[in-house]
Amino acid sequence: MTFQASTLGRVGNGGGSRVSARRRSIFDIVREYVEEIEALTDEIVERFMEKPSWDVDSQSLEPLCDVYVRRDMVIVTADLPKADPESIRISSIRDDLIEITANMKVKVNFEDLGVKHRRGEFTCLCCRVPLPVPVDVSKAKAKFRKGILEITLPRKKGYEIKIG
Amino acid sequence: MVRLLSDRGEKLSAELVRVVERKGIPEGIKIICGLPDVGLVGVIAAAHIISKLNLKEVAYVETELLPPVIMLENGLPKPPIRIFGNNDLLVLISEIAIPSDSIHQIIKSIIDWAWSKRAEKILTLSGLPVPNRHELEKIRIFGAASNDMMLKVLMDNEIEIIERGFLAGPQALILKYCAEKNMPAIALLAEAFYNYPDPEASSLIIQALNKVMNINVDVSELIEKGEEVRLAMRDMMRRTQTELAKMRKSHEYDVPGFYIR
Repeated sequence: MTFQASTLGRVGNGGGSRVSARRRSIFDIVREYVEEIEALTDEIVERFMEKPSWDVDSQSLEPLCDVYVRRDMVIVTADLPKADPESIRISSIRDDLIEITANMKVKVNFEDLGVKHRRGEFTCLCCRVPLPVPVDVSKAKAKFRKGILEITLPRKKGYEIKIG
Repeated sequence: MVRLLSDRGEKLSAELVRVVERKGIPEGIKIICGLPDVGLVGVIAAAHIISKLNLKEVAYVETELLPPVIMLENGLPKPPIRIFGNNDLLVLISEIAIPSDSIHQIIKSIIDWAWSKRAEKILTLSGLPVPNRHELEKIRIFGAASNDMMLKVLMDNEIEIIERGFLAGPQALILKYCAEKNMPAIALLAEAFYNYPDPEASSLIIQALNKVMNINVDVSELIEKGEEVRLAMRDMMRRTQTELAKMRKSHEYDVPGFYIR
């Protein structure tokens, strides 16, 4: 809604009165939409990054993760260094959000990471991954290889539209 | 030698970015670059080489184009982009992600400086993103260069050359600016994770560098400490990933549209 309001506002202001309003090409309008979306994405990314990747209270470190959307499936991967393979748990928090947790084979504290002025130790890796498209979580499969967790989630099928 | 840069271009780069030498740096030296890119392959490799060869800080990059960040070492401020070295080689490393909108100016100024030092050659270490990296049993190493002489060096060392395709980011600009000056430069790229720190790829790129430069940097410790490295490099990887997206790094997956023979 925000994009729409501000873009429409600029369309009106650019032309002066309604009668003499200069008609702009659809390409200009689309470009403005794209620019605004990019600016907003940057803002979200920056805001998201302005927080630590660790949480002393829950003794957890946030691992790196990634989402690929394919035609028939969504593949979520996570880099889980030092994870105990037996302890990896994947749970669906909502239809569009999964949580990955794993205990680490050894405790890690700030000093192990070369930082002496902070206190706290970490025993697990934990992250939440939003899913961009609807999936069938009950049919998900996962494997853990070379420290990388890979979860394959089949996408929900829509209605097929017949031709003719 | 004739400088092909315009006065205006040179003045601009001198104002915004300069390399400050803390110790006298001899002319004709080799420079290895490890800048943040996919899998942080170059940064991890550069840090390992600095540690193994016990290189000392000899210069740093002074610029206001980076975020207002310093590295504290034993309580004292250090600039994020530094050069370590001995009498034979220098290693340039950045400890923070370089903002995409300053990368041109920073690389250009570093290459101008290397040119002024009559550097023998520049070797930039990096990763080549592959989507199925975690399924690969064997990581391949590729190379590209700034001139024919350096391509021959790659071929002599049996490193496969990327004949056609896109490169984006620091090593793309290093090759570009070196080619403009006909300065010898080689980019070594190991297949790597796009957005996970990849110490295994770094160890293989060091082994390729050992061959090309005829040096002997042991990588066993890097392989052993792989999990520690992956854990410690998460934050830098996260920030680098944001900048890589802005540099349109995914161009490297693209198939070029035309084939001009």
